[in-house]
Order: sequence, then C-alpha cells, then structure tokens
Amino acid sequence: MTRCNYACQTADHVVSRRSFLGAAAAGFAGLVGGFGSPAAARELSRSGKRVFTIFLHGGVSQLETWDPKPGTDTGGPFRAIPTSVPGIHISELLPHTARQMHRLALVRGLNTADDDHGRGAIIMQTGRKPEPGIEYPHLGAVAAKLLGTGKEDLPGHIQIHPGGGGGFNKQDAAFLGPRYAAVVVGDGKPPADLYRPAGLSTEADRQREALRQKLNARFAQTRRTAMTEAYTESYDQAAKVIARGDVFSIEKEDPKLADRYGRHDFGRHLLLARRLLEQGVTFVNVQHTNYDTHHENFDFHIEQLGEFDQPFATFVADLADRGMLESTLIVVMSEFGRTPKINHLYGRDHWSKSWSVALGGCGLKAGAVIGKSNANGTAVTDREVNGGHLFHTYLRAVGQDPTKNFYPNDRPIPIADPKASAITELLA
Amino acid sequence: MAIPTVDPKQTRVGVELKHPRPLIGCRFDPSGRFLFVSAEDSTLQRFDLLTGRKTAFTGHESWVRGIAFSPPAAAAGPACLVPPVAELSALPALGLSAAPPFTLVTGDYHGRLIWWDGAAIAPKPARNVAAHDGWVRAVATSPDGKTVASCGNDHLVKLWSVTDGKPQSVLEGHACHVYNVAFHPGGGRLVSCDLKGIVKDWDLSTSKVVRELDAKILHKYDTGFRADIGGARGMTFSADGSTLACTGITNVSNAFAGVGNPLVVLFDWKDGKAKQLKPKEAYQGTGWGVAFHPAGFVVAAGGAANGRIWFWTGEDNIHKVDVPVSARDMALHPSGTALAIAGHAGNAIVYTMLPGSEKAPAKK
Amino acid sequence: MRLSQRARLFALAIAAILAGPAAGGDSLSERIDTLIAAGHRDYATNAAPIASDDEFLRRVTLDLIGRVPTATEARTFFADRSPFKRVRLIDALLANPESSRRLAQYLDVALLDRRRDNKVARPAWEEFLRSSFERDKPYEVLVREILSADGADPATRGTAKFFMDRDLDPQVVTRDIGRLFLGRNIQCSQCHDHPQWDDYKQAEYYGIQAFFNRTFLFPNAQAPNAVIAEKADGEMSFTNVFDKAKVQKTTGPRVPGQPVVADPKLEKGKEYMVAPAKDVKPVPAYSRFARLATAITTGDNPAFRRTAANRWWSFLMGRGLVHPLDQDHSGNPPSHPALLDLLGDEFAAHKFDVKWLVREIALSQTYQRSSAAAPGAKDLGASKFAVAPLKPLSPEQFAYSLMQATGLTDAERAALGDGLTDAALQAKLAPVAAPFQNVFGTRPGEPEEKFVSTLDQTLFLKHGGTIRNMIAPRPGNLVDRTLKIAEPDAIADELFISVLTRHPTAEERKDIVEALKAVPDRRTALAEIVWALVASAEFRFNH
Repeated sequence: MTRCNYACQTADHVVSRRSFLGAAAAGFAGLVGGFGSPAAARELSRSGKRVFTIFLHGGVSQLETWDPKPGTDTGGPFRAIPTSVPGIHISELLPHTARQMHRLALVRGLNTADDDHGRGAIIMQTGRKPEPGIEYPHLGAVAAKLLGTGKEDLPGHIQIHPGGGGGFNKQDAAFLGPRYAAVVVGDGKPPADLYRPAGLSTEADRQREALRQKLNARFAQTRRTAMTEAYTESYDQAAKVIARGDVFSIEKEDPKLADRYGRHDFGRHLLLARRLLEQGVTFVNVQHTNYDTHHENFDFHIEQLGEFDQPFATFVADLADRGMLESTLIVVMSEFGRTPKINHLYGRDHWSKSWSVALGGCGLKAGAVIGKSNANGTAVTDREVNGGHLFHTYLRAVGQDPTKNFYPNDRPIPIADPKASAITELLA
Repeated sequence: MAIPTVDPKQTRVGVELKHPRPLIGCRFDPSGRFLFVSAEDSTLQRFDLLTGRKTAFTGHESWVRGIAFSPPAAAAGPACLVPPVAELSALPALGLSAAPPFTLVTGDYHGRLIWWDGAAIAPKPARNVAAHDGWVRAVATSPDGKTVASCGNDHLVKLWSVTDGKPQSVLEGHACHVYNVAFHPGGGRLVSCDLKGIVKDWDLSTSKVVRELDAKILHKYDTGFRADIGGARGMTFSADGSTLACTGITNVSNAFAGVGNPLVVLFDWKDGKAKQLKPKEAYQGTGWGVAFHPAGFVVAAGGAANGRIWFWTGEDNIHKVDVPVSARDMALHPSGTALAIAGHAGNAIVYTMLPGSEKAPAKK
Repeated sequence: MRLSQRARLFALAIAAILAGPAAGGDSLSERIDTLIAAGHRDYATNAAPIASDDEFLRRVTLDLIGRVPTATEARTFFADRSPFKRVRLIDALLANPESSRRLAQYLDVALLDRRRDNKVARPAWEEFLRSSFERDKPYEVLVREILSADGADPATRGTAKFFMDRDLDPQVVTRDIGRLFLGRNIQCSQCHDHPQWDDYKQAEYYGIQAFFNRTFLFPNAQAPNAVIAEKADGEMSFTNVFDKAKVQKTTGPRVPGQPVVADPKLEKGKEYMVAPAKDVKPVPAYSRFARLATAITTGDNPAFRRTAANRWWSFLMGRGLVHPLDQDHSGNPPSHPALLDLLGDEFAAHKFDVKWLVREIALSQTYQRSSAAAPGAKDLGASKFAVAPLKPLSPEQFAYSLMQATGLTDAERAALGDGLTDAALQAKLAPVAAPFQNVFGTRPGEPEEKFVSTLDQTLFLKHGGTIRNMIAPRPGNLVDRTLKIAEPDAIADELFISVLTRHPTAEERKDIVEALKAVPDRRTALAEIVWALVASAEFRFNH
C-alpha cells in the first residue's frame, strides 16, 4: 500500500466489507428503547462519556454574559443579575441560564493572548497555538477517538452549523485521520437524500457497496492521498448516518419541550444535539452566529443572546432530567472575548486578555467560579489560564489522560499541550 | 420673536462643552438657556449657556437617551441666543434671572423614567417609574405638555401623565424594539418607529393604529452576521406637522462594522409618501439626529469614525460640516441660531449658524 | 495495453522532433521540462514515468474539454499506433468546440465565484466567454473587455457581469481585481479596520479603487438594468483609522508598481460631455474608469502576464508556480521563478493566446507524467511537479463526465434525432449539471479552497434522484447498451471503457461476473454496477 502521512496503517482504517455489513444489518435494531427512554439514558450513562460544545462565532462579550461589570466605565448599560448560585451574578441578558447556574461553572481568568479570529478559534478548539509544520486535531476529533469504541453507527464527531457549512478548519481531524473529522449537518435538518430510495433494495445496496470498495482498494494501491481518503471515508460515514436516520426527526419530540427549546434555528439545533448525544455520539458541537460586534455591541448582544439563552437553559435542564448531565461535558466558548473599552461605535473589539468560558456537566464542580478579573475587566487578577489549560481540563473531566500521546506514523505527539495542565479546582 | 437670519454655510463652532465620559444624547430646553446631555456614566449634565455652570443630574443607573420637556415650548419663546464667542465666562450679563421651573422627563436602559425639575439648582429625581421591560429608547412630550410618551425594547409605547406620572395608556402592536416616538404638533396623533423601519401612526383617542408608514429602507437584516440593524435614531415633525423626518442607517453591507450610509426619510403627513434626503458626498455612518429649521431647510447629523452635519434645501444637500468627533445626537436650538452635537469624546459642541459678523442681539 | 517505457519515450522524441521547436531554440514545452527538472537535484531519479495511454487520454480529455472520453474515443485512441497520436489528440481536443465551453466554464467560476445572478443575464455572459475562446481572442483583450464594460450597450451587456454581479461594490471589486488579475489578495479588512495593514498597502488598495471611485450605478443600485455611469469629480480619500491625527490621504488611479494615471487639467465648465441632471446619465469629458483596463493589462505591468500564466499553468497542473494563486508576494516565492517569468513572457509574446499556452504545457513531459510514483521514489513535494497531481473533478467536469459515462448524453443525442444541434443538446444537459453545481460547488461568492467531501454530497451520490435517473436504463445509455450484450467479458469491457476509460483487470472481470450473478434482475444489477463505477475514487478524480 502507498504510504500515507497519517495514522492509516491501523486496522480500523481499512474499510472492510464485514464492517459495512455489520452496520447495515443493524439498521434500526440499534434503536432498542427508542429515543428519550429512561432505559436508553441509563445505558448511556453506564457506557461512556461525551462532549458537547457551543461555539459562539465572532467573540461573545464576557461583559454581556459571564463576567458583567455594571456601573463601571467599561460595564455598559446592562445589569448583573443573581443566579441560582448565591454569590454568582451574570448578565441580565441570560435570565434563563442564570437559573441553571447550579449545573454550570465559570472560568473568568482566561487569557489566550490572540485577537485573531482564525488563530483564536484554533487555540480554543485544539488547545494549542497554531504552529508551523503541524496541525493539531480539533477537540471533536480527539473526543471521538478517545471516547469512541469504534463500533458506533453514528459518526463520533458531529457539528451542527447554522447555514450550509462554515467553521474555521475543515481539515479538523489533522493527523487522526478523516474518520474523526467533523460530519457537518447544515442547519440541523435531516440531510437531503438521507433515506434509501424505493427502487434500491438492501441487497442491491450491499452488492454495489462491495464493488465500490473493491474498486477503491485497487486504486489506493497506487494513488492514495488525503483527498481520496476523505472521499472514500465519506461513504462510510454516510452509511452510518443513514442507518440511524431517525435521530434527525425532531418532530417526534414532545411539542411542549420543543417549544421550550424554541422553534427557531438555534433551538432546533440544540434539540437535535440532545438526540445525537442520547444516541451516544461522542462529540456534538452547535454553532451560533454572530457575535463580532465592533458596532452597536449592546443591541446585537440583546438579539443574539436572546436567541441563545432559553434554548441553552432548556438543554442543560433536559440533560439533567434525563440523567445525562453526569456523563456529558458541556462547554460554551468563542474565539475570544470583547474589549472592556467601549469604542466610538457603541462597539467592543477583540479581546483575548481577560475573558470567560462557561462549562458544566461531567467531571466538573457545579457552581464553581475559577479565576477573577479586575474591577472593570481589563486584566486577570486571579488564576489566569489559557486554551491549553482548558483542553487538559476537558479531557480530565471525561476521564481521559491528556498527558498521554497520540502516535501518528509512530511519532509521539502529546494529546494536550505539555506546557499546560488541568484546572484541578474545577474538577469534581 | 422674529427668526434671526442664519446662514448654514457659515456654520462653525460656537462653544465646546466638556465632560469626561462619552455622550449619548443632547437636547436644548425649550427656553434655549440650557443644553442637557446624557453620558455613558449614566448621568445627565445640564450646561447653563448663560453662566457656564455645569450641573449633574444623578439618579439613573443606566444610560439615558430619551430626554423630553414639559411644557414643550417656552411660553415667551426662546429666551436666549447662544453667543458665538468661545468663552462663556467673557459674556456680558444679559440680565436674566434664574430660569422658571420646567419638567424634565428622562428614560434609561433599565427601563425607568425619571421626572425632574429641570431648572433646579440641586436637582433630584422627583419621581422614578418602572416604565418598560428593557431599554427606554426615546421620550417625547405632547403639544399641550400634559402627556409624555416613552417607547422601548418591550415593543411598547406608553403614555404617562406629566403632572403625576400615572400611566395613561399602552400602545401595543410593534413586533420588535421601538426606537423612537413623536407627537404630531396638531395633537391627537402619535408616531412610533421600530427596528424594522415600520412607523405606526396612532390615533390617541382610540389607541389604534390609523396607518403605517414605510421606513424599511432604514432597516437591514444582515445575513452574514444574522442580526437586524435599523430603527429611526432621530425622528421629528416639522413645526406645522406637514412632514415627518426619520433618520438612521441604510445600504448596510456590514452591520457589525457599521458599513452603511446615513439617510433621512421625509414623509408627507397628508398622503404618507416618502422622499429621501441623502448626503451628496458618500459617507459611512449612521444618522442620529434630524431637525426642521424654521427657515425651511432640514439639518441632520450623524457619525461613525467622526461626525458630520448636513443641510438640505428641498432635496439638495447644500452644505456639510465636518465634526471631529463621532456625533451621536443632534439638537436644534429653539431660536434656530445654533445646533448641538453630542460627541463620543465627551464633548458637546455647539455650532452657531449666525452669519459671521453679527453678534447675538441683546434681548429685553 | 501499455506501451513499454522505451517505446513511449521514443514516440515522444519523434513527436517533439516533428512538432518542431521554435526557430532558433527549444519549444516552450521542452523548456518547461528543463526548468522543472532543474527544480530539485533528485528530480530525475524520483520523477514518475510518463503516463500510460489510458491515463493520458482521460486526463487530457477532462482538462481540455471537461468530460471523460466516450467509449469510441477511447477505443480509437488505444488502437492508434501512430507515434504522433498524443500531439494529434491535443490538437483535436483544442479544435473541438467543447474546449471553448470548457475554458469558458473554468474562467466563469474563477472570475465570479459562482455568485448569484444579479443584473446581467447568465446566458449572455457565458456566450461572451465561450465565443471569445472559440475565436481565440487574446486573453489580454478578453480581460480588457471585461474591465471596461459599462453595460450600456444591450448587445454586449454580458461582458459587464464581472462588475454587475458585485453591484459595483468598491471593496469587492478592488479586492477581486487584485486577486484575479494581479495575483494579490490586498483586501481591506472591511470587518475590522485592523492596524495590521500599513500605509503602503492601503495606498495600493485605494490606487486601484481610484480608477472607479467616480463611477456609480445609474439610475440606481436597485435597477435590474443599471449601467455604470461616471462623474467628473471625486477624489479617492482614505484615513488610517488608527492614525490619531486622522490625516486624510488621497491617491490618483494607480496599478501597484506603476505611476499614477494623472487626471488631465480641464477647463472649468468643460468637465462633462453630458452634464449630470435629474434622470440624465452624466458622461465626463475624461473617464478614469476607461483607463482601468489598459492600466491592468499593459505590457508595463508584469504582474498581469505573470498572474495569467500562473493561472493557466495551474489549470492543467493542479497548482500554480505561485501557490495559492492570489498570494504572489515576497513571503511566498514561486516554486520555479525562472519558469514563471518564462511563461509570462512567452504568453505575452504569443499575444496571450490561451490555447497556444495550454497546448505547450500539455505537450510537456511534466504534464504527461503518471500520477503514480515509481516504486521506491522519494516524495519531493507537490511543488516540484515530479508526479502528476490528483485533481478532484470540478462540479462541471463531474456532471458532464457522469452524463457521458452513464450515456445520458448519448441518450439525449439519440432522442433529439433530426433536431440535434449543439444548442439543443446543451439545453438538455445544462439542467442536469445544475444540481452538481449546487451540491459540489462552493457557496456563492466564495473562492474555492481545499477539497472536502461532505455528507450531503455523498448522500446525493448514494441516494439522490439525479444519479438514479442516469443509471436507470434508457434507449442509448450505458445500461441499455450493456443489457443488449450477452457475454459477461464484453459487458465488463464496455462498462470499464465507458466509465473509467480503461480495460478491466482479470480480477475486475471476475468481480463483474460475480456481481451480475448475485442480483437476479439484470437491469438492477447493471445499473448498480454502473453506480459503483461512477462512485469510485478513480472516477471522482482526474489522475
């Protein structure tokens, strides 16, 4: 076989007819217990951990969310409101989330020292600063690799994008290989052509798949690149998603719950995310856009957080109700925060020096606040951490050891940045 | 009182009044003696144009943009002309006594309305009403001075008694943030403009919408950033009520960087038809204030990186003045001889429009 | 069947001799090979061998006419024993009207990034591009026509699509002129007014914008039939927002590296030929806009020919000598600087004849190498062009190749009967290509980036109606033809030649026999075998 420059010599990379048949034969049998049943949830909590992130594109303002400074020269016009945890206040723009604070935790001393969208996203999603000559895998790819058993039907790394796609790094599995790259579901809708057409029988489908794979195996003997791998891998991923197609049918949910999530895009996406997590998908990411408010920051945060608040709170409560919170890590992040100084356009600009993320669930101390910023939010005064510390923390929270290595092409690469370590105060 | 001759083309800085925090709004009181400004420190500041004294109005806990007065016009007409000299302290005394009391009503971004005696030496909130859920974006006074209207983020327009602050009616119907509100000078009618550029014309005797005017050109849903930008940032009637002016931002190609152009939309009150007043020279920014001058021209101001004032005769943009600071509000002096700009750098710049050689005439 | 290595080289040598170098020196294709070989000291020992006939035929057909060869074309080429057959094939392809359509489609996507139609009807633009290539219009003339189009003449309005689809937005037009014709992505950071670009780059950016800062859409930006009008005044002024002094700077129209194109002094009152008035389109006595096209394409502006040559190189070779194509700056030097200069100069010397340049590149050994490295060869990196790259088929190539491979094209041709004309056939095929452009193309307005294979694309191929219709039997199509063949070996041949442009291996013949046995219904069996072939990686890529 042609040498590949990433971890494809392993057995699980070679597509075999048997593994396809296994998936196809399982069909809907894998849905024993159905969706939302306590039995499914119990089984899930026994079986494994999963990670859920929300990426707020553009850089959400920490002053309008997790670390408000009302009445200061940087605070802006909004109030801080009490939450379900005495002593913790967040912005008045998140009233529903405030009532879930006892299930969440805050890191307020984040300094990622980079005000660039692309690099900020890489830092927050890979736990490392961009380096020449190597690309590190996205948290989703890492979670899918470490938390998956290799036997799942649904892809281990799913991202729900607002429109037809997007995101900052399409090759996000890096050296872990396209198997762990994100399957992007645009707008949370069941993908078009998901279901097998009437004229195609199971048997015919099986036969043609076998032939297609044989042709690809022969071609790969002399011509194998990242592109051909991505292409052939996408068929395997598609097959798995097809087998579990029902997961996209959010209309099967209790309408009252669907109302609380909200019938708009973000609400639907979170509801789909919960269904995917319930089916054991090891990593789901939902994206909300946009927060890059250089102009009229306050108006636009009212609008965007107005869309975010209730669905997110409903999601957290829903996970708790289903007993899934103990086994699901939740993280709400952005590329960076926003400047405490309000500019001449009533805007806030990029700010990575002192900002916040919110987390919750698996392995974390509920209601904890780690790190502090000063009175007007212009500097971290206590327990400063960066993207590397967070990455370590996520992995520890789901029971993984971030100081271990990956071995692409037998070359050891630490899973998380060795210069950082987990925020132990945050871990339960 | 006869309107003194003004020449917009000679508009120049009369006096610059300073405050240490960025300004949000500005209004002259109906007598023309005071300039009120609101700032990002949640205070209002009153500049006495006669004596130079600066008085703080503290009591709000959030930003103020809505500023209204009752009575809405001074009984004896504007009593003071802003002198074109730079140094207020060098003024000859004009022989005026302390100003007669007037009611000032201001609205803030915590949804509260505060009543004040606008002329008091040591002002204190006379009344503090929880008026709206979310921002109060604008406040206006009825022509008879008895009612004050407020509007805000809860999609509502509310009417209040000036004398005792009691709520009188609630006008429901807008489906998004209401940005501005104004009473028709003829009485009985009120207009309100929302984020999406829908202007509702209310019959106050029935609290029902009589018609809607279309200022949607001032609204854009930015599909890239998935957010709405819009609203009439400034809104006013001509003195005879024949025309309504709205100003805001149009042609937005990037809502989160403010890439768009200021625009004034004029509505003929009788038939509702709209006309547009555009700056002759391309300018990137938002229109924040607009006024009808008694001499017949329209003046508007706005800003982004810096500020600009525009003058139109008919649809012709006859003049512009560059303002060195981002202009966030504009007010026309009741005498028609000056206008004020609320500057982002904390400066309220008062521009005089009097022809250069004339001094302010003394008033009996 | 493959020719032996020696015979292949001999054939090429004869072809080169008979094709004849330019008087007084080696041909461009030979000089390409010399310079590429000099690009790495281990080039000779690690370069891939020359591609076999089936590799070459498929690749050059896809590159030059945008589809895979027909079964007949393939059989004819394989049977041809002439040593000149590759040169003849290249010339035949370039003479084929389909090559003009292919070049037009390629340039359309490059220039418009699949923007949604705005003020100019797509057919007029497509026809403008196609007929330009059909008539061998020099590339610099083509670009000049595009950059001087004001849309006023209905007969040539198609030409104005470059400006009109961008709504004459100064930011977007400036950025794209820089990107596409000068190889530089100098876009103003519209979003952030970032302090990272310095005064120098700002002046470059605004120098280009100054050519059209006096233009506007008349009568207004919303009118669907708007034309580009121009005033006689207006300076291009700009400030650096982080300059505390807020100094206003100005610049006249200027292409980077060239002097300012100064406005002439005009007598007061004589600035207009048609003065601006209400509802009247002004015509200035002097037009800055009219100077744009020549300023960009002039021989004094080496960036134009260099960028053009780089683009047509990447059209065939899969990556530019400067790569990415819009990052030509000192921090990103070309992989073969002397070659890039040579290509640019030769392109200009040959009057920017695109088909001439494409032919020279296609004749080179560098282009004709196999995409399979020799066993044991070192990987020198893609920028050394030692091994032919894999190029994913563009959405258009994919669509038209699928139509040809599955025989939909043949079926439509047959169905048209006496009514068969090029236009009539295109009218049938273009709607079938449309879903491919949607599903496989980048989003409107976004330039192409790395290859991705998304879930929606895979589901489109697996379950989508477009493909199902192509593989269902229909008079004249592939499944229909093979239904009429009795002998499984012959079926296998017809399938592989039609779809993959080669003969099946012995093992593949066995697989076909097995597959035919496994599904009792012959129609279904054949249809799904065709599906497997077109869904293979071998079909998806140009190799």
